[in-house]
Amino acid sequence: MTVVRAHDLVKEFRRPKRFTGAFGGLRTLLTRQYTTTRAVDGVSFDIEAGELVGYLGPNGAGKSTTIKMLTGILVPTSGQVEVAGVVPWKERERNARHIGVVFGQRSQLWWDLPLRDSFRLIGKLYDVPREQYHPNLERFTELLDMADFLDTPVRQLSLGQRMRGDLAAAMLYNPRILYLDEPTIGLDVVAKERMRAFVAELNRDEGTTVILTTHDLDDVERLCSRIVLIDHGRVLYDGEVAALKARYAPYREVMVHLAHPDEATAVEVPHAERARAEDGKVWLRFDPETVQVADVIAAVLARHQVSDLAIIEPELEGVIHQIYAQRSVISARE
Amino acid sequence: MRTFKLYAALVGAGLRGEAQYRGNLLVMLVAGMAYQGIGLAFVWVVVDRFGAIGGWTLGEVFFLYALRLTAHGLWVVPFSQLNQLDLVVREGEFDRYLVRPLNPLVQVLTRRVGLMQAGDLVGGLLLLAYATTIVDVDWSPGAVGFLLLAVVGGALVEVAVQLGLSGLTFRLLSTRMLRIQVDSVFGTFGNYPLKIFPSVARFLFTIVLPMAFVAYFPASVLLDRTGELAVPSWFAYGSPLVGAALFTLAYLFWSRQTSHYTSSGH
Repeated sequence: MTVVRAHDLVKEFRRPKRFTGAFGGLRTLLTRQYTTTRAVDGVSFDIEAGELVGYLGPNGAGKSTTIKMLTGILVPTSGQVEVAGVVPWKERERNARHIGVVFGQRSQLWWDLPLRDSFRLIGKLYDVPREQYHPNLERFTELLDMADFLDTPVRQLSLGQRMRGDLAAAMLYNPRILYLDEPTIGLDVVAKERMRAFVAELNRDEGTTVILTTHDLDDVERLCSRIVLIDHGRVLYDGEVAALKARYAPYREVMVHLAHPDEATAVEVPHAERARAEDGKVWLRFDPETVQVADVIAAVLARHQVSDLAIIEPELEGVIHQIYAQRSVISARE
Repeated sequence: MRTFKLYAALVGAGLRGEAQYRGNLLVMLVAGMAYQGIGLAFVWVVVDRFGAIGGWTLGEVFFLYALRLTAHGLWVVPFSQLNQLDLVVREGEFDRYLVRPLNPLVQVLTRRVGLMQAGDLVGGLLLLAYATTIVDVDWSPGAVGFLLLAVVGGALVEVAVQLGLSGLTFRLLSTRMLRIQVDSVFGTFGNYPLKIFPSVARFLFTIVLPMAFVAYFPASVLLDRTGELAVPSWFAYGSPLVGAALFTLAYLFWSRQTSHYTSSGH
């Protein structure tokens, strides 16, 4: 079942034209000329219930603008958007009950009140019945390890604690769709991992549809099966993470650390090329379609003494970097 | 009903939040009352010098002043956060209010509690209570009823103007100075009988900025001075209704303007 549908979404921002030079400020103030920027330029995608989708793009690509149209914050310039059968900007209050939103850079919690009070207020705002509220709060407190700071005013929480609070607040009323905008920004490794585990569990146990924008590709590798990549307001890629890797990084590498460093340049393996060699380490690159890892390793071991060895998976980061560099649209799911 | 319950819950949260800064709370209340006291002292000096203004005695001007201040206090307390709308819109805080199942205006108004403004209301009520004893009015139930309606109506007139102007924030991003200017026009000229101004100003303060409906018209009714008005007397009797009508219009305008909200960042 499709829960989020975006069709040919466009958002333009219009600003008075800026002038520089003599009386530039005054002319800017009085001008009737406008400059229009297209932040989102014809974005379309469908998201099925229960999907966990990474919505990626460099700064200024139009990610947040798209999310703001999906959540009903912004009215699209043109195109259609429908979330759980509701047009978000037309029926904001109905839409609000279906969605949870976490903006990593902005908290929705009450700054001067204990965290517990924020939860209570959110519970009231969303008309969460008592028999749903208490079990949820209990469960989230345990999962996110919040027991120690439930009674601390939000302004005294660390960033990691506050983000956990924000995440719990967004899920207290069991929304069907969860939007996470940079949820791990500024968090340490442990805090990031805790957030990810929580999101993964919600998605698995409750079938919550999750749409995640992030610059941290570890978030994506850990959580998302599908990504939508955008740049300059257009979709560059929409499909599985694995397929993207297979296409842009078809090679695997094996790194072998030789017991006798001077043999490094002598390592020869059929169907594998020597990508790099330094300090007695050799990186062998091969195509997993033509030769298997085991054979490559066996070939090396047959002729050389090896003190260490590692198989290197391609990283999403390198792949995404390539795509941004090329900036071409990849037809989705081919 | 649900909205009122949530409003109460949010105001309660705001108060508990403010209570964390107890020193500030007290200073704000006192500052609010002191500020209004200065305004009153000024009017008193003027009337004391000239004996009367436009035929209105010191007591009558005092009553007019108290009526205006009470109406003002009645709206600035619940609507104090309208002053912060520029900030809320420019910094994208309004995002949050659009993704919750409650009227965004209610959420803006309850983001904090206006304590300094409470000084206006308390000061206004004290003055008004005193003023009713020094003017020559027969306080029949009808008169008292009209006085209450007039205060509410006056508050609605002022808040309608401020709400309408603040609706422009979604397009212009900054309307704070405009609103402060208009508020100070109300606060400066609204304390005097309108008849002392030239006719152009009287027209402006009745039709363009409906200041006369806040206190001058209702006070004329209660002080039995409708005969000296430049408008028919039913105009003055109808001031509370004008407040309700203007407020409705302003609210509809404000709500429509929210669709021009552009958030912050991309």
